[in-house]
Amino acid sequence: MPLAHPLIRPDRASLVAALAARRLDRTLTTSLPPIDPNDEYAIGSTGIATLDAPLGGGFPRGQLSELVGPRSSGRTSVVVRMMAAATDRGELVALIDALDMFDVASAVAAGIDLDRLLWIRGHVVSNPGMCRDMNQRALEQAIRALTLVLQAGTIGLVVFDVGDAPSDALHRLPFTTWLRLQRMVEGRQTMCVLVGSEPMARSSAGLTVKLTGPAFPPDGASAFADAPADRRSLVRLRAKRYGETRSSPDVGASEGGAGQHQHAGRFSGRLFDGLNVEARVVRARTRLHEDSVVSFATAVANHV
Amino acid sequence: MSNFQPPAPSPQPPAPSLYACLYQPPAPDVFDDQRGTHRARRDSSEKPSAISALTVVSPLVQIAEAFSPRYERHGDDLVSIDIRGLDRLLGSPRTIGDELRRDAAERGVRAHMAIARTRTAALVLALAYPGLRVVDAGEEAAALAPIPISILEKIDHVQPQSTQSSQRSIGQKGSVVSVISVVKTWGIRTLGELAALPSADLAARLGRQGLVWQAIARGDDTRPLVPTRPEERFDATHDLEWPIDGLEPLSFVLTRLLEPLSTRLEARDRGAAALYIALRLVTREIHARRLDLPSPLRDVRTLRTLALLDLESHPPGAAIDQVTITIDPTPGRVLQHTLFTRPHPTPEQLSTLLARLGALMGQDRIGAPVTVDSYRPGAFTMKPFAIEHDHDQRRARRHRRDTLGQISASAAVNASEVPSPPPPLAINPCELRRGSPKRQRRDGGQFPAPRPQPPASNLPPSLADDQGERGSPERQWRVGGQPPIAALRRCRYPVPAHVAIGIEARPIRVTTDRRGFAGGAVTACAGPWRTSGEWWTPGSGLEARGRLRDQSSGMWDRDEWDVALGDGGIYRIFRDRSTDAWFIDAIVD
Repeated sequence: MPLAHPLIRPDRASLVAALAARRLDRTLTTSLPPIDPNDEYAIGSTGIATLDAPLGGGFPRGQLSELVGPRSSGRTSVVVRMMAAATDRGELVALIDALDMFDVASAVAAGIDLDRLLWIRGHVVSNPGMCRDMNQRALEQAIRALTLVLQAGTIGLVVFDVGDAPSDALHRLPFTTWLRLQRMVEGRQTMCVLVGSEPMARSSAGLTVKLTGPAFPPDGASAFADAPADRRSLVRLRAKRYGETRSSPDVGASEGGAGQHQHAGRFSGRLFDGLNVEARVVRARTRLHEDSVVSFATAVANHV
Repeated sequence: MSNFQPPAPSPQPPAPSLYACLYQPPAPDVFDDQRGTHRARRDSSEKPSAISALTVVSPLVQIAEAFSPRYERHGDDLVSIDIRGLDRLLGSPRTIGDELRRDAAERGVRAHMAIARTRTAALVLALAYPGLRVVDAGEEAAALAPIPISILEKIDHVQPQSTQSSQRSIGQKGSVVSVISVVKTWGIRTLGELAALPSADLAARLGRQGLVWQAIARGDDTRPLVPTRPEERFDATHDLEWPIDGLEPLSFVLTRLLEPLSTRLEARDRGAAALYIALRLVTREIHARRLDLPSPLRDVRTLRTLALLDLESHPPGAAIDQVTITIDPTPGRVLQHTLFTRPHPTPEQLSTLLARLGALMGQDRIGAPVTVDSYRPGAFTMKPFAIEHDHDQRRARRHRRDTLGQISASAAVNASEVPSPPPPLAINPCELRRGSPKRQRRDGGQFPAPRPQPPASNLPPSLADDQGERGSPERQWRVGGQPPIAALRRCRYPVPAHVAIGIEARPIRVTTDRRGFAGGAVTACAGPWRTSGEWWTPGSGLEARGRLRDQSSGMWDRDEWDVALGDGGIYRIFRDRSTDAWFIDAIVD
């Protein structure tokens, strides 16, 4: 792809496309040897078979991986399931919760062995807002905590959750931070997953999965296509119990008007049934898995 | 067994060893008013507790310490003393015995005493006869011969202190009594008759224990004397020539103090359970810190790092003049590694990591979450994070057992084509817990339906099957087979929101003043779900009105909604029914 005139500054998208065309969009991870998808010590399953398939078995160990997406796209649901799968394998899990938003009830519902979870809670900025005072110091403190955990080693899964941190605070982090973290985790059997609203580690990341809510179906029927049979039957049972039909779930869609974002939730009358998640592999070690898209559904749990 | 042979003379040990044994019999005048019987004093087989061993010094031990540093304490009422060499100081064994008796009389102790060339002979004689008995060399077996065989019941439980942890159970004690009764049925009444039995035949009938009893009956030592050593104190002090101000020079001082302590700990197979640091400042104040270690440690670098990290967060107020380190010793950690579980950080690594994280984030910000017995939204507590290696090994064994059981069960099914039994029904323990939320409409409005509960099979494993083992195949099936749970991101402090209500009493627009919460029109909503609790506790009544009672008191009373907003987010909002204020409680993500 030819670049534009040198005096004309190209936009970011065209630069990324040009680098990808020349296979220069990554510098660190593509030179590593391939991973055996059946090697448990090289791949860590997410616990979601649908998501494991395009990832080649799961998230790679010894690399920085990213799980990005907007709010309510299912990031936390996937991460919680990954943590449950890791503790079920007997691994230790460390969660650096920069904004202290981890919900213990959700963790219990997902099946996490809490005794194996090291929870590092960031300082909550309570007033005037959760994110207004999310200054650079608090984020750097969380980064230092992540560094300490990665240095300790032998922790199976390390999750760095900055999902609701403002993007400008993340952008102010020096790029060498992620290079340093990648070098730190390299060669270890640790899965390091960064959870954010947009990609952070850039070329240091070995795997980037972007989660989005799928475009809501107009009739609301196919939104449950990926939901398991028991969930579909449960929803039908509830609709029958409450005398409601599963009509258009987006009750207020017409109220939102133009410019409204589509949400990924499944609503049926007075019930919230979960999220419809669409996962796209943005970056992977092998280009074979890139741009693959899978969809799955989450379910609501008791007492959450 | 029919051909009795005369007692064979016991072999005389060549070493000129000499032992004295002191036994304090129970006082006959102790009367138990409640039972109306004579209360027996502590049996000689009873081992001293750890507290009594450290705090209370038995008078017999005081007598033993006055005569020899090598003594073995079998209990508060039985002590063996190695008095070899005392003959050059005091004279003959009879003279030594007289000195022992005189010393005991001065202390007001009425004890049986025996002196013999073997420890076993002295011990048996002290248990059997009052007064002082002195046995010449080679006469041990003859001296023990007339003693009844029932004395073995007491001897059997005299074990060295190093094996106190493996105390014999009551059942084993009963078995010893029964075996002795069996020996009595053979016509064996005294130790001399037991010593005369053929060893091979005795071993064939009673096993190794029979040989041990025969050796005791002959006065032979079955094990050497294990000296009782006083609990060693691990502390070190260093007076500084010049006061130091700062942690970097202090690290060298700590290393200098900790290295010899670590060497001593290693020599005694001990680890540090707690580390005390006392810094005497130039202001003559003492800056004391205590570190409770999660596992026994004796690595110098780890201990120094932990001490420095603690002092970083709690620095002394002035320059340091003197440094004192005291260590609480505890038996060393014995860890058997296994190939069936994943490697975990060593306790040294974990302690260092937690100390560094605590210094960085605060000790209250790290740990393992723990659920609490409450329906309060977002309720949890934290506990210190620790790795239980034994738990991991038990878990691995259970997992292998379950796997083998599953394989064998499947093989049995394939062989006989018998359908497998249905899985056990799961019971929701939450229904049995106290403090269930009150779901009653007070204002007579539309009664909010209870939040629908998924079927029992959809319950989280920790709730639905508490009796099930983690890592069991059933749980793996649940983790791998069920769809992911729609998790929440909890706002630890609920965000105040402005909510517009539509004609159907449903929220139609949610906005906040907070950055990061754009809000917007409600595109879908579910609810309301009413929940309340802790309204019965004192101090949560009307006086708590006017503030967010979820944080300031134990009570909560709210109507919850799950709303999808125009910004694409799905939120859990609630209306506090006491203040009629709306808040964003969580984000569904």
